[in-house]
Amino acid sequence: MAKDITILIAGSAGQGIQTIGALLARICHNAGLFIFSTDEFESRIRGGHSFHQLRISTQALGAPSRHIDILVAINEREYEVHKDRLKKNGIVLINTDKEQSADSRVFHLPFDAAAKESGGVIASNTVAAGAILAIIGAEFKEFEAVLKDNFKGKSEDIFKLNLTAAQKGYDMGKAVDFPKYFDFDGKSHHHVVMSGAKAAALGALAADCRFFSFYPMSPGTGIITNVVKYADTLPIVIEQAEDELAAINMAMGASFAGVRSLTSTSGGGFCLMTEGIGLAAMTETPVVIINAQRPGPATGLATRTAQPDLLFTIHSSQDEFPRFVFAPGTVLETFNSVKKAFYLSEKYQVPAIVLMDQFLADSARTESEPFQTGFEHESFLDLETSMSQNKASQNQVSQDQIYLRYKQTDTGISPRRVPCQSEGLVRATGNEHSEEGLSTEDPENRTAMVEKRFKKLPLMKDEIKMPSIFCDGSAFYLTGWGSAKGSIMEACLHLREQGIEVGWIIFEDIWPMDSHKLTKLLENKKLIMVEANVTCQMGNLIRQMTGIDYMSSILKYDGRPIYPEYIIEKVKQIMGK
Amino acid sequence: MATTKFDIENENQWCPGCGNFSILQAMKKAFIAKALEPKDLFIVSGIGQAGKTPHFMACNMLHGLHGRALPLATGAKIANHRLNILVNSGDGDCYGEGGNHFLAAIRRNIDITLLVHNNRVYGLTKGQASPTTALGRQTEMQNKGTVSSPFNPIATALVTGAGFVAKGFSGNIEQLSGLIVEAMNHKGFSMIDIDQPCVSFNKINTHLWYKERVFDLKETGHDPADYEKALKVAHMGEDKIPTGVIYKAHTLAFHERFDVLKKKPLFDYNFDKTRMDEILTRA
Ligand SMILES: Cc1ncc(C[n+]2csc(CCOP(=O)(O)OP(=O)(O)O)c2C)c(N)n1
Ligand code: SF4
Repeated sequence: MAKDITILIAGSAGQGIQTIGALLARICHNAGLFIFSTDEFESRIRGGHSFHQLRISTQALGAPSRHIDILVAINEREYEVHKDRLKKNGIVLINTDKEQSADSRVFHLPFDAAAKESGGVIASNTVAAGAILAIIGAEFKEFEAVLKDNFKGKSEDIFKLNLTAAQKGYDMGKAVDFPKYFDFDGKSHHHVVMSGAKAAALGALAADCRFFSFYPMSPGTGIITNVVKYADTLPIVIEQAEDELAAINMAMGASFAGVRSLTSTSGGGFCLMTEGIGLAAMTETPVVIINAQRPGPATGLATRTAQPDLLFTIHSSQDEFPRFVFAPGTVLETFNSVKKAFYLSEKYQVPAIVLMDQFLADSARTESEPFQTGFEHESFLDLETSMSQNKASQNQVSQDQIYLRYKQTDTGISPRRVPCQSEGLVRATGNEHSEEGLSTEDPENRTAMVEKRFKKLPLMKDEIKMPSIFCDGSAFYLTGWGSAKGSIMEACLHLREQGIEVGWIIFEDIWPMDSHKLTKLLENKKLIMVEANVTCQMGNLIRQMTGIDYMSSILKYDGRPIYPEYIIEKVKQIMGK
Repeated sequence: MATTKFDIENENQWCPGCGNFSILQAMKKAFIAKALEPKDLFIVSGIGQAGKTPHFMACNMLHGLHGRALPLATGAKIANHRLNILVNSGDGDCYGEGGNHFLAAIRRNIDITLLVHNNRVYGLTKGQASPTTALGRQTEMQNKGTVSSPFNPIATALVTGAGFVAKGFSGNIEQLSGLIVEAMNHKGFSMIDIDQPCVSFNKINTHLWYKERVFDLKETGHDPADYEKALKVAHMGEDKIPTGVIYKAHTLAFHERFDVLKKKPLFDYNFDKTRMDEILTRA
């Protein structure tokens, strides 16, 4: 049987609870265990309630769990906040030097006092980590090795202080009565523990993105933050724009001049970018935008999660034009979707948007598969090749004097050139234009140009992966998209174990949707939509595109992730069980 | 007008007598003086009558959105700092809709040349007040007179730290083309605010009105290296309008501040698959 526990470390912003989580995650990963960690915090830098939740398992994980085995309260008051989620046989560690509690599940452990004894209250986190590690069965030497690595290059005194603190914490944990949980003798055979934000950053770099423009907005910022450390070794420039209008226009300017570029934001910032998306469409300039969703409207819940921008994203900006929209559900999918967005945006000369959300961007999970520069999709050229082909075509055409930026072709895709690299002038405008790129209001030209842009649509539809279906022939299907994937899958497997005949349908590539293919796929299937928004946006989109109505929906809009347990409970309600 | 290699067969959309024609002519003259070919030029523009300028000239062009020409140009320059980039913008486009970008472009010291066609009115949308319209001036829309005081682009550029600030007049093509050459030669952000009559919507600030007021700073012995004097010039008011280079100082341009760009433009690098694979395996 799989062993699977959830540890929740709760405290205030500024207390470094994430540091504890990161230490634990690393030691578990080294021992070949799977982890899934989430952070929930308030939009403030100090104080308030925040927590880090770490799920550890001997089996692959796609979602966090709502039920807690070990609750670690760095402030005493956090116990009250979270105790309802504690399992029957769960335990609580409270950072206090008060006498032991009468409740046999509650342990008062003086993390702060032990840290002070070791030489500084700053090491209180290390004490807590030591205690937890002892409880879940890690050897002290594994902890010591990770600490040594963490404090590499720092002063010996700081390392000593933490090591002493770690030992004190470990001894405290040893005294706690909890069945030794995991075997830490294993070796890591998994690729990596990674957040969605980092995977997106790597996806962009692997796609040879060289320019990153952004205006800070949670949770979109984390993606660019993850690029920073590569700026010394790769040819990239990261620029903080004066606002999101500038961010998208800078990205487009760079792309127009021949450098792949990315901008990343969240709902409100994405709103400001929409006019720019129209310009990308009209000038047929490739650009990739990540919208890491959060609850709105307006500022909404700045540090929380939701999936409320689906319909807005597929329709954002003026008038009508083809675009790509992807909604990866895992870390590896995020990496691949971002790469694919670059590739397809360039191939079709259209904007491509990757929809993420706070949950996907900020949670970290074990990923077993390696990340690669190439494409899994056979028809995709290696990006390196496509880039050099692009350059070659610029040289090739240098003889002809007249270049038609918007030349009519069978596919609607005109050969692309960048300015000042050849004799033929590159002329582009956001006004309706002729093949030469000069603005004209001629009605025939207008019609022809709208049709030119839309000629790409059928080809773009063919690039889109159909939703994945699990257990075809099931009585009904949990249906969702993006970051809800892991929870849907886990809930589905759990329900099946209980004899309920349920499958899943999960969308990763969203737009453009092929209504014909989708209708065939969904015909006669009963759908229970699972989404983090209030109007069931994907359910409505499916109905609009296929005429197929969903049977029921499980919607969550409290700003928190959808847990598998939540889906299970709701499915049972729907089934009247 | 003598024909040049920058001429193009494209119907001009400006009103006859508009100051924009002279600005266009001064640009072509400057490019010839700099021995540039159309293919060496990349002109980015905003929306408005001024924004149409590159349509009427042989050059590479990106005619973007209202107010957003500067970020487009900035991105392009970061991608390939070898490009000669100029921006044509209007007073509404640059100081109104794009005001924030104006400040940011100066602070970045991005090496492009900004030409603001300042006609003190919104031309393309038919004569509403612009950020440079005088206080109290009546328009069809502001029929009791504007209630906001005008924006001072020169003073703002100076206090924001611009390294090349000049004032031109569409009525003096000779001087203006010289200013454009000098602005393009300047390494870093350069701007020329160009007084331009709008014959259709600005009946006060006419060609004659300007002609009676403009004078060349060169003739007064103005020293463009003197920041304090430049500030005084920026605040001279309306009775006498100074033209010429108001301030000039060199600081490192945006692309000179990045190690990767010191080696070569971003555009010139090749994708290093080996390095990327290494990053991915060690991620
Ligand atoms: C987002 C947006 N808002 C408004 C407009 C309408 N608009 C077009 S040009 C213009 C003003 C142009 O004035 P100015 O920049 O002074 O240029 P001019 O036409 O006088 O040369 C406006 C408001 C627009 N195109 N886009
Ligand atoms: S409206 Fe004014 S600025 Fe526009 S073209 Fe006519 S004269 Fe020139």
